[in-house]
Amino acid sequence: MAAPVNNKPGCWGVPEVYKHHEQKKVCFSRPKYREGRKAKAVKVYTINLESRYLMVQGVPAIGVMTELIQLCALYGVVEEYRPLDEYPAEEFTEVYLVKFQRLTSARAAKRHMDEKSFYGGVLHVCYVPEYETVEDTRLKLQDRRRYVVRTVHNKAREKQQKSASEQPTSLDTATTSETVTTRQDQTSHNDETGETPNMCQYSGFPLLPLPPQEHYNYGHMNYSGATPTEDKMGTLHNAIIDTKQQQPRQSTSSSQAPSDRDPGQRLTSNQSSAVRFVPRTTHLENRKRKMEDMVENSQTDEAIKNKAFIGPKLPQPPKADMEDESLNTSVSLIRNTMKQVGAVPDLKPVEKKVKPRRRI
Amino acid sequence: MSKKSSSENSDRFEYLQTLVTEFQDTDSEEAKEQVLANLANFAYDPNNLDYLRELQVIDLFLDMLTEENENFVEFGMGGLCNLSMDPECRDLILQNSGISLVTNCLSSHREETVLSAITILMNLLTPSSRSEITDPAITQCMLRFSLSESPRLRNLASVFLQDCCSEEQVNRAEQQMQGQQSAVGIPLPKD
Repeated sequence: MAAPVNNKPGCWGVPEVYKHHEQKKVCFSRPKYREGRKAKAVKVYTINLESRYLMVQGVPAIGVMTELIQLCALYGVVEEYRPLDEYPAEEFTEVYLVKFQRLTSARAAKRHMDEKSFYGGVLHVCYVPEYETVEDTRLKLQDRRRYVVRTVHNKAREKQQKSASEQPTSLDTATTSETVTTRQDQTSHNDETGETPNMCQYSGFPLLPLPPQEHYNYGHMNYSGATPTEDKMGTLHNAIIDTKQQQPRQSTSSSQAPSDRDPGQRLTSNQSSAVRFVPRTTHLENRKRKMEDMVENSQTDEAIKNKAFIGPKLPQPPKADMEDESLNTSVSLIRNTMKQVGAVPDLKPVEKKVKPRRRI
Repeated sequence: MSKKSSSENSDRFEYLQTLVTEFQDTDSEEAKEQVLANLANFAYDPNNLDYLRELQVIDLFLDMLTEENENFVEFGMGGLCNLSMDPECRDLILQNSGISLVTNCLSSHREETVLSAITILMNLLTPSSRSEITDPAITQCMLRFSLSESPRLRNLASVFLQDCCSEEQVNRAEQQMQGQQSAVGIPLPKD
């Protein structure tokens, strides 16, 4: 424990050059899926490498220490700093030691300042844990352990709450609809059909018609089942209204508006049928067979589905239930697209100025 | 909110699974090193620990400690150093005879590996593992490290001696150091 006499144990002793100060060679041989945004070396970060002490190399020797420390202070409280005159530096540059109050500040500063240009030089920022005292090291480890335990604990509690709310499926409709919609999302994220309706719902631009071959594929069902029909006034107004009505249903996935319990329950009922696997062709045949019944029952069906709707209703095109979530999604996608395509001439861009959502 | 995080979570799990699969399937040492470093860095974020446990990455890291390739050992140790902060992972490491595997790495030539080893041993300390971790051989090794030229090694070994060992244990180890010494922590000869 007793340090050698010639080796000053204090943190402001004569600096030494350590290997981990050097910038490691960037690795270029990674396959695409492992490539990050920034070119990086193959290196493992542990708490031992991190420190609230940073060394900043490559600072132009033009008297910009104040500016450098001001820049550092953007990321957290700087406790101490000093130039490391003894440290080997490139010509016309200086090296500084900066001690932050907190490790997280040092981490942020390193991330934002490393390899950034500063008064004509390019900074190289690295952790310098060798300037730590024994107490610094101890506290660093304790903080880290505490942080990990806290995070894991919070996560476990979150999970518990989630599973607790998932259990009483039949009792609490409000929570079930919520959990189901989230689960629904996971599945819809995987197939393209789930993604696309969002796109056409949120883009403020009129959609281009689908390529001809897709028209052909779905054309039959679409025209017979749900063509936007002119009302008595000779307009396609109802088609626009319909898309608006559907919007909340589609957006439950993202916003989960508490008032939209109806769609949630609808999804629940479909969930059970989605479990068993039925070949798509069988579905298509079943659908054909049921088509006529559907047209007849459609009016009553609509009334059940849109219970929350109060007031006079405009006649709506019948909707076919495919009894399968994936098929239903495809159908509603096609239906919506067709309506929008049909509605393009009527559509005023001002009317539908929904800000396109950015997917990050 | 919950939507975003749930889909992100499943993405993360799949990505980690892809990494583990690549690690197992590839014959390229370089690719293995990269993937191993990747996994070890993912272990730094406590949010990934559930997935890493599920994918049995702890065993993967422990397997690396007996590899010839020193990068494998260093990265595996880095991963374990990150994981062992979590009590659940700590228990898994202890169950898989992690202490002896990690203790062997105290003799590594690489400072990062040795530093990881000390930190892991401190993380593995529980009432039941205490006697094994504060074994006289290890305590002596820490005493030597506490006199090291390297400030990081010196500091970390000092924390170990102060926090994990009793004063009595340290005194005994000091006395023993006068006489016969244990070989733990003395770098193995290079070939």
